[in-house]
Amino acid sequence: MDIARKRRRWRRDTLQSYLLLTPALVLLAGMVYPFGLGLYYSFTNYWLQYPNRFRFVWFDNYVDLIEEPLFVRALEFTLGFTLAAVVIQVGLGLAVALFLHARVPGRNVIRALMLMPLMMPPVITALMWKIMMASTTAGILNHLLSFLGVDPVNWFGSTQGAIVSVFIIDTWGNLPFIALILLGGLQALPTEPYEAARVDGAGTAAMLRYVTLPLLSPFLVLAVLFRTMDSLRIFDVIYATTLGGPNDATTNLHIMAYQFSFQWFQMGKGMAQVITLLMLVGIVSYVLMRLWNRAAESTAQ
Amino acid sequence: MRSQARLYRRSAHTVAIAVAAVVLLVWTVFPFLWILLTSLKSPGDVISVPPAFVFTPTIDNYAALVIGEQRGQYSSTRPDFPRFFLNSMIISFGAVALAIAAGIPAAYALARFSFPLKNALGFVLMSFRFVPFIAFVIPLYILYQQVGLYNTHAGLILAYQLITLPFTIWMLRSFFMEIPLEIQEAAKIDGCSALGVLTRVILPLSMPGIAVTVILGFMFCWNAFNYPLMLAGRQTFPVTVGAIQFISYEQVLWGQMAAATIVAAVPQLVLSLMVQKYIVRGLTMGAVR
Repeated sequence: MDIARKRRRWRRDTLQSYLLLTPALVLLAGMVYPFGLGLYYSFTNYWLQYPNRFRFVWFDNYVDLIEEPLFVRALEFTLGFTLAAVVIQVGLGLAVALFLHARVPGRNVIRALMLMPLMMPPVITALMWKIMMASTTAGILNHLLSFLGVDPVNWFGSTQGAIVSVFIIDTWGNLPFIALILLGGLQALPTEPYEAARVDGAGTAAMLRYVTLPLLSPFLVLAVLFRTMDSLRIFDVIYATTLGGPNDATTNLHIMAYQFSFQWFQMGKGMAQVITLLMLVGIVSYVLMRLWNRAAESTAQ
Repeated sequence: MRSQARLYRRSAHTVAIAVAAVVLLVWTVFPFLWILLTSLKSPGDVISVPPAFVFTPTIDNYAALVIGEQRGQYSSTRPDFPRFFLNSMIISFGAVALAIAAGIPAAYALARFSFPLKNALGFVLMSFRFVPFIAFVIPLYILYQQVGLYNTHAGLILAYQLITLPFTIWMLRSFFMEIPLEIQEAAKIDGCSALGVLTRVILPLSMPGIAVTVILGFMFCWNAFNYPLMLAGRQTFPVTVGAIQFISYEQVLWGQMAAATIVAAVPQLVLSLMVQKYIVRGLTMGAVR
C-alpha cells in the first residue's frame, strides 16, 4: 500500500512538474527548433543568394574547413586569445582580489566602482576604448603614453596593435568579474587553517601557496570556466573595433562564421563553422565543469 | 636605528598600497571620465592635438541625439537615437516579462520536485549561457524573414529568450531553494495545493529575489548586441546597435558617439548600483552566492 502511495505521489509530482514547465518548454522548443534547422543547414550548401542551388552536401562544409586557410588562422587566434585571456585576466584578477581583501582604505568604493565596467554593454565598452585609442596623437591613450616616452601606437591599424587593443578592451570589461568572484571566495574562507599555518610559522608566500590557493580553487576554476567560455566566443568587442581585421589578424571562429553567413550569405558554411566552434566550447566546458565538481568536492571535505 | 628602518619599510608599504589603489581606480574610472568629457566637446575640440582637458563644454552632441539628427557641419548619416532607446526599453521589458512569466513555474518545478529528465533539462538550460550566438542567429535570420518576425519587436523579444529564459530559471531556482522546506510543508498541511504553495508562500517570500532577477535580466537584454544586429532593422535597433551607427564610411561622429555611449551606459550604471550584491551571482547564473 505504501509503495502504491509513493508511486501515485511520484506520478502526481511528475505531472505537476511538467505542467509547471510547459510555458518554459514551449519557449525552449522555439529555440531548439531553429538550432536544429541550423544544424541541418550545416550539411547543405545553402547560399542565400542562390536558393535554387540548395543541395544536401553531407560533410563537405566541414571537410572544406580543413582546407580553408582562414579557418586555421581563426582557430589559432581563438585558442591563443582564450589562453591569454584566461591566464592573464585570472592572474590579474587574483592579484586585485587579494589586494582588495587586505584591508585597503576605500575598498568598498573601489569595489562599487569596479561594477561599472562589468555591466557595461561590451559594444559600448569597445566604442569607449575606440575613442580613446585613436591612432593619431589626438587619441588620449597615445597622448598619455607619450609622457612615458612611448611612441604613438597604431592601435587598430596594425595587426599586433589590433590584437593588443581587443585584449585590453576585453580585460577592462572582465577583470572586475574575476576579481569579484575571487574576492567573494576569499571573504568566505574559514579562518582556522590560517591560524594553524601561523602556528606552524608559515610566511605570507607559503600561506598563499598552501592555504589560500587550495581553498580558493573552486572559485578559481569557476572564474576560469566562465572566462574560457566567453573568450572562445568573443564577438561584440571585435565586431565594434576591428571587424576581424586588419588582414584577418583578429578574426576568431565566431567572427569568421559571421563573415561567411552575413557578408557572403553562405549560410551552410557559416553554420558548419559555428557548429565546429560549438563542439570546441562543449569539449572545453565539459572538462572544466568536471574540474569544478572535483575542486568543490575536495574543499567541501 | 632599527625602529627607524622599520618605519621606513612601513611607510614604503603604505605608499605602494596607495599607488596600487590609485592605479586600479584610474584604470576603472578614467575611460568613463574621458568619454564624458568627449561627449561635451565640439567637433573641433574632439580632434584637437594634444587632447584637450580644458575646453568650452557644449551640449550639442546630446541635443543632436535627442533631436535624432545632426546639427553643425555633418549631415550624411542620421541615427535616430531616441527611437533606439525606446526600442531597447520595449524589447528588454518584453523579454523580461515573458521570461519571468514562464520562468517562475519552471524554476519552482526545478527547485522543489523531482521528475524524469530534470538534470538533463537543467543542463540544457545552463548550456545556453555558453552557446556562440551565431549558431542561433543564422537560422533565426532565415526563419524570421519567412514568417515576418524579422525587424519586429516581437521577434526580438522571442530571440532574447535565449538570454533571459535560462538565466531567469536558474536564478529564481536558486532563490526559491533558499526558502526553508518546513514552511512549504506547513502550508501543505494547511491544505495548500502545489500551486497554492507557489502563489501564497514561495512568491511572497522571494519577492526581493524576483526583483533582482528582473533587474539583472533587464540589464543582460540591454547589453545584447548580436541578435539585434542581425534580426533588427533601423526601426527596431536597440541602443547597442544604434551606437555603432555613428561610424560610417565617410566619417566617425566621435562626439555624438561618445554622447550615445553615455546615454546607453546610464541605465546600466544606475541599475548596477541597485543590485550590487547580486551581480556576481547573476553573471554565474546563481552558481556563486
